[in-house]
Amino acid sequence: MDWASFLQSLANGILIAGLYAAVTLGLTLVLGVMGIVNFAHGELVMLGAYSTFWLFTLLGIDPMLSIPMSGLILFFIGLPIYRFTIRPILKDPPLNQLLLTLGISIFLQNLAMILWKADSRAVITSYSGMSLHLGMVHVGLTRLVTFLIAVTLTIFLVLFLYKARPGRAMRAVSENNTASWLIGINVQKTYLLAFGVASGLAGASGALVSTIMYTFPMVGFKLSLKAFCILILGGLGNIPGALFGSLILGLTESFVGTYVPEGSGWAEGISFMLIMVILIIKPTGLAGTRRE
Amino acid sequence: MENIFLLQVKKLTKHFGGLAAVQNVSFEIRRGEIVSLIGPNGAGKTTIFNLISGVYAPDSGEILLDNENLVGRRPFEVCQKGIGRTFQIMQPFPHMTVLENVMTSGLFGRVPKISMRQAKEETMELCQLVGLGDKQKAFPRNLTVADQKRIEIARALAVKPKLLLLDEVMSGLTPTETGEAIKLVRRLRENGTAIFLIEHVMKVVMGISDRVIVLHHGEKIAEGTSTEVANDPKVIQAYLGEHIDESEEASC
Amino acid sequence: MIFYPKLVDSYFLHLTVATFLAMIMASSWDILARTGQVSVGQAGLFGIGAYTAALLYQKVHLPPVLGMLAGAILAMIVAIFLGYLTLRLRGIYFAITTIAFAEALSVIWLMTPGVTGGAMGVSTPPLFNGNREHAYYLILIILALVIFVVWLIESSRLNFAFTAIRENEEVANVMGINPTRYKVLAFMISAFFTGFAGGFYSHYNTYIIPYEVFGLGISIACLVMPIFGGLYTIAGPIIGTILIKSIEEYLRVTFSYGHQIAYGLILVVVVLFMPEGLLGLWKKKIFPLFVRVRQ
Repeated sequence: MDWASFLQSLANGILIAGLYAAVTLGLTLVLGVMGIVNFAHGELVMLGAYSTFWLFTLLGIDPMLSIPMSGLILFFIGLPIYRFTIRPILKDPPLNQLLLTLGISIFLQNLAMILWKADSRAVITSYSGMSLHLGMVHVGLTRLVTFLIAVTLTIFLVLFLYKARPGRAMRAVSENNTASWLIGINVQKTYLLAFGVASGLAGASGALVSTIMYTFPMVGFKLSLKAFCILILGGLGNIPGALFGSLILGLTESFVGTYVPEGSGWAEGISFMLIMVILIIKPTGLAGTRRE
Repeated sequence: MENIFLLQVKKLTKHFGGLAAVQNVSFEIRRGEIVSLIGPNGAGKTTIFNLISGVYAPDSGEILLDNENLVGRRPFEVCQKGIGRTFQIMQPFPHMTVLENVMTSGLFGRVPKISMRQAKEETMELCQLVGLGDKQKAFPRNLTVADQKRIEIARALAVKPKLLLLDEVMSGLTPTETGEAIKLVRRLRENGTAIFLIEHVMKVVMGISDRVIVLHHGEKIAEGTSTEVANDPKVIQAYLGEHIDESEEASC
Repeated sequence: MIFYPKLVDSYFLHLTVATFLAMIMASSWDILARTGQVSVGQAGLFGIGAYTAALLYQKVHLPPVLGMLAGAILAMIVAIFLGYLTLRLRGIYFAITTIAFAEALSVIWLMTPGVTGGAMGVSTPPLFNGNREHAYYLILIILALVIFVVWLIESSRLNFAFTAIRENEEVANVMGINPTRYKVLAFMISAFFTGFAGGFYSHYNTYIIPYEVFGLGISIACLVMPIFGGLYTIAGPIIGTILIKSIEEYLRVTFSYGHQIAYGLILVVVVLFMPEGLLGLWKKKIFPLFVRVRQ
């Protein structure tokens, strides 16, 4: 048994799972708090990636430093998106919500293509190629830092949801909308903030994405599908589920990449196949919680 | 060999989460009988309807229609076996006219399938029967509550059911409308349809039921004629236990 | 309609053929939408049709029109399987599954170049030896067929079943309608024509690659046109297609990439301001103005 490959796959899987989790956090937050599946979430991540790329290319700002900046930029982009397109359809049938967020997604994808062309961009820093050797395993420095930051983001989010007032308001609203309103929580403002925070998380995770993957207009779409896969794997609208799902997806992709012939190509398709298989077997997703 | 019992429900049980919505309920309904199902709010009455019509699957128990097991059948199969039902919260198809709403049942609920022309003719007759004769081309959203209830009933009747499940059709009707509804139910029984009603309006229950079944916290606590049930101490207890007196409130 | 090709030049003829093709796809999408299921993965079926026709030509020299037919049939068969497995899903999950379906096919195609030609794609000689007029007539016939089928559906009991399922699936079920069976039926019909369109495209375009025929762009195009024009109608997808194709053509010459930005904008605008599409807008807002003016 080739321990080196096994451990390497394991390590890679865990590291990428961190990134996937960061990407899915915002999607989970919006779904949990207001019950909307935001098809455009991936595009917000994409914008975060581009924002980091341009900050790096034009202003020389290190991607790790621009994480909060991209996060902030997307937070402020998310607010008007919520106000003008999401808020009006909060009570609409889910299919309308689907079409609307899908429309935003398509719009942003194509906007990116028009503004920045379809070329793939890479953020290459002085430390991009470095890796650490931990025993038998090589760990890319960027990947490791990305993983750690993703974990940090998750911890921040959890702290926010449990300790900060607006965060607790979000949790209350996600459990019971009417009761929250009755006790004086401004539900509309909570929704607005939740969407903003989710967009900020998307932006921050986009910054991380730009350091590990190529940045191009469709990168958001690819990540969206992985995020949906994670939601379905882990249960909808809850954070532990998102972490669990991310781990499963990350590890599966990694092991397929190592052990299946030509696995790196097939690994890309894992999320799609998982989506189909799981939904076919269990139409309400693995954890089975149906959010009404 | 025809069974005198049209519907037999044996030891029906259904849990939601940890809660027993329906516990060990058994009863029968004969052909042409009018049976009412009463009980305080949350007693499990609509759940029983949902179990019979196949919307929910029971955790245990049997449901036999003309000796044929209905458990495990999907709602459309149950419908085609001869059970029609209305919904407590009226749900007519919003983008279809009254005529089209009722035709839909006729076209798909009947076995063997009938032609479009026949469905249309039968539907027009049915609309006359329930009092919607001049409103066939109207859309449900423009009609009164009473008329929407008529649509529900007509839809259920269009499948020519052996057993009709009526879920609180009398609530919210004026005294005149209630009288018309009662006449309609009696006429249906004369045509051979067995009718199983969930009702809160006690006057109606006492007036038209051959038998009454009382449900409380998911269990059957009494069964008998209206007088027997009205005087049953368990029943009185169940209703007094609720703070709101149902029978007064329902006629508003 | 019949003399049209004689009257216009090659560019417009091509544009018309492309528009008719889009109408076929839009109307097909609408057929499934009538049951309340939104597919965002029509590209999967389109691609199957395209590759069936192209590969059958490449391997056994199957004449193009037969190849298109084969593509349509195969797409239909795939839809039956996929449909039974996934049409029980609620709206959003079905939509996600269809996206996953198309993307999964794309990956499979890229990873099996020996059989499918992989990323390099497959080419075929020009349809009808480049005679655009014949292509025009073929696509016109198929379009007429699609419209006829939709008209048949609208005048039969299928219309009742589809509408009932769409408006309230649970109630429809209780009324004797088997929702899955009718949804699969709608999906099958939709897939047949979408597959045929794919087959036509592969021969007409002479070259196909997975990225394109299984691509999200196709799936989005299929749904924007009927939504814009007016769902669940015959005229809606047609009108929507004409307008969108015109907008798209204008944008295509302005920007080489990203012309689908209009699609995104239209979807957002329609959902927010005119959920019943152009036809709904006409019926509710514009036509009544004429009536009032006359009075």
